[in-house]
Amino acid sequence: MYFTKQLKRIFNEPTLFITLLAVWLLLGVFVIYPIVMVAITSLKDYSGHFSWNTYKMLFTKVYFRRPLINSLKLGATVASIGTVVGFIFAFAITRVNIPGKKIFTTVATFPIVSPPFVIALAAILLFGRNGVITHDILKDSLKIDIYGFGGLSLVETLAYFPTAFLSLEGILRSINPALEEASLSMGYSKWRTFWKVTFPLSMPGIFSAWLLVFAQSMADFGNPMIISGNYQVLSVAAYLEITGSFNLSTGSGLAILLLVPTIVAFTLQKYWLSKKSYVTVTGKPSSMGILEPKKSVKALFTVILLIFTATILMFYGTVFYGSFTKLWGVNHTLSLENYKFVFDVGLEYIKDTIILAAIATPISGILGMLIAYLVARKEFPGRRFTEATSLLTFAIPGTVVGIGYLLSFNNKPFVLTGTAAIIILIFIFRNLPVGVQNGVAALEQIDKSIEEASLDMGASSATTFWKVTLPLITPAFFSGLFFTFVKSMTAISAVIFVVSGSWNLVTVAILGSVENSDLAQAAAYSYVLIFIVIIMMFLLRMLTYRFSYERKIAR
Amino acid sequence: MGKFKEVLGVKKATLLLLGVLILATLVISAPVLHMYTALDVNEAKIYIEAFEKATGIKVDWVRMSSGEVLARLEAERNNPRASIWFGGPAVDQIAAKNKGLLEPYKSPNAWSLDLAFKDYDGYWTGFYLGVIGFASNTKQLEELGVEAPTSWQDLLKPEFKGRISVAYPYTSGTSYTILAGLIALMGEDEAFDYYKKLNKQIHHYNKSGSACVTQVGLGEVTVGIAFAHDVIKKGVSKGYPVKLTVPEDGTSYEIGAMSVIKGGPEPELAHKFIDWMLTAEAQSLMKNWYRVPLNPDAEVVEGAVKITDVNVIPLDFVYFGQQKDRLIERWKTEIQYGD
Repeated sequence: MYFTKQLKRIFNEPTLFITLLAVWLLLGVFVIYPIVMVAITSLKDYSGHFSWNTYKMLFTKVYFRRPLINSLKLGATVASIGTVVGFIFAFAITRVNIPGKKIFTTVATFPIVSPPFVIALAAILLFGRNGVITHDILKDSLKIDIYGFGGLSLVETLAYFPTAFLSLEGILRSINPALEEASLSMGYSKWRTFWKVTFPLSMPGIFSAWLLVFAQSMADFGNPMIISGNYQVLSVAAYLEITGSFNLSTGSGLAILLLVPTIVAFTLQKYWLSKKSYVTVTGKPSSMGILEPKKSVKALFTVILLIFTATILMFYGTVFYGSFTKLWGVNHTLSLENYKFVFDVGLEYIKDTIILAAIATPISGILGMLIAYLVARKEFPGRRFTEATSLLTFAIPGTVVGIGYLLSFNNKPFVLTGTAAIIILIFIFRNLPVGVQNGVAALEQIDKSIEEASLDMGASSATTFWKVTLPLITPAFFSGLFFTFVKSMTAISAVIFVVSGSWNLVTVAILGSVENSDLAQAAAYSYVLIFIVIIMMFLLRMLTYRFSYERKIAR
Repeated sequence: MGKFKEVLGVKKATLLLLGVLILATLVISAPVLHMYTALDVNEAKIYIEAFEKATGIKVDWVRMSSGEVLARLEAERNNPRASIWFGGPAVDQIAAKNKGLLEPYKSPNAWSLDLAFKDYDGYWTGFYLGVIGFASNTKQLEELGVEAPTSWQDLLKPEFKGRISVAYPYTSGTSYTILAGLIALMGEDEAFDYYKKLNKQIHHYNKSGSACVTQVGLGEVTVGIAFAHDVIKKGVSKGYPVKLTVPEDGTSYEIGAMSVIKGGPEPELAHKFIDWMLTAEAQSLMKNWYRVPLNPDAEVVEGAVKITDVNVIPLDFVYFGQQKDRLIERWKTEIQYGD
């Protein structure tokens, strides 16, 4: 029988068996349990009795439907534009010989390395009612209202297209150019080669990028909090219900409503992707730069990249300038006061944030790769479920993860609130999906036969993982690490529920400043954070190069 | 043998992971006072640093709007992480008291306080007074050709349509104080009718009560409704083109309060903080934020709006503390999510 055969295979490999058990235990306690708590809470009324009231309300009252429709519309818009832009960036960086790649790449990662609400703030400074562009340059000639759907789409696209870019960059890099070369040498044009070879091969990447951006947009609450005006989205509605009124049941209900579309999208992707095979790296070394387009196309790429890069620079430049002004909007005398404030008052926050993120990052990265490996390479009962679970925290708005942790780990047997551990755990499991998804996407590109060869020659699963698989997915691993670190440094929505006086975070301080419109302070904080993250980015890029497969082959 | 080594390699990595996790959990800080404060970050640190200096007790604090503090206390009911709730209107602390989230403490330094400014049983203790006012952007008033609003009805002027901001009454103590004041002034149904009209004038809602002041200063909105001390501190005194007016037909007010959280880890330190905060030196620090202290020996800064200077609506804080959940629910149904 299939099932018993599978079980037998697992028992034959004790390491695998123990690892699986450990992974299941971790996912069970830190991913499923908090969510179950939220689900249970959504089914309770005030007095703690079972009740469908929350859900009845969700469907009978228009005010719960409106945020759902708003969120879906926003998510789809941002994901579509973001993926297209991200792909253009990734293609230009990996395939087209244009100048200034490093600058484009660095600038495009700004939105990732900064807390998202910085972009919303820049948008207000530039396009608000009293904005630099709308008021000072256009003299109010255009009736632009940055608050609402349009403004949110702009801000979230800028904030999240880099996610698509980074993940697609990895995918495009791992497509073996030999295939493109073959297509070219067989007489296909570059254009056709792109559509028939490169594009289909990057399809899983494109789809997963779309999903990443979609999920981010759905769960985003920093930007909508600041700039949504009266365009009410689910995450904000849920957040306000929970933090403002302690309506845990309604908030949880809204969050579960937020979860459904994400899970549907996820299932679709899995079903659709599983029908195709995308093996291209077959143990041969890879190089890059084959599909060099015509000059006119190259110029077009350059222009698109320039426009987006200039926009980002303008946004960040405005905030940067703002961080040195005495009082934004009134007194633009330059001073270092805000930075002095950050280092006087915020130094402890900065220290705490770095420590917590630095602890969480490697754990999350290794765990992520391990799960990716198990899921993509091993046959065991509940494989799909394991993957889905590991990706779950991504689909759930941070607010609900935060509340879930608060509900779950505030009572015996797990009393964790108020400790560093709860923040670290949130960082680890919130960011796990990035590692898993990167790992799975990378593994799907690598032919199983390489590992099979290792297994056939007598190496164990563990040996194969450490010696064969891991080096092959190193770029994905490091980009996962980078992501985890950055996301931990800039996380807010989940951790805001569990920060304590003893362990505080820069983002919480920024949110405080932002809430009070102390923009210059928030800007200074953000720039300190950005600076730290950029240092990390260069470190990790260096490491990636050191450990990457390509270099080993080159040696 | 090779296989064994590799397995060992995995174990080593796992052990390392576990080690890091355990280490992380073991990083325990020295005993300190854990605090939730609803005061502005920049203001809270003035008192906290002075307290640390005066007593040698370290304070670990988190800033949240008072509605959020209340929500947090409810969430942490079985395992409270903080010992003191510092700042924010007494109404919210009365709501917390009614939910059984606070424990009484009668500070010896509070004996001289009028009974209106503290809880009879000591569940909360007031330390300042604040009145609600309007912040208006003077440049935009000029452009629009209107005077700064001086009554609640003025806010309904067509010129102000889409140009007012205020906070959600459930996240913000400021905003709940406004709602309570309107109800006391007009009667509940009339107040909600008024708010429905006001809602049409509102550009957006904030989470924090004082956030609208800077928005007015920056010109994002023309008028904001907030506490007078926040308007002066964050608007006028900073150099923004902001003008403060107080509704002449009657304005709402708060008693800013502090309370001891039930079952918090360090009640004695919380008591010490409350004692200290009621002293004249501590209360005099409030001049930095244009607040009006309750200790008669404390300095009052010039420009601060005293309760005797304006037309204040008498408020039954106990009633509004008890009715908070119901009034908020009504506000959400009829205003925020109404048509």
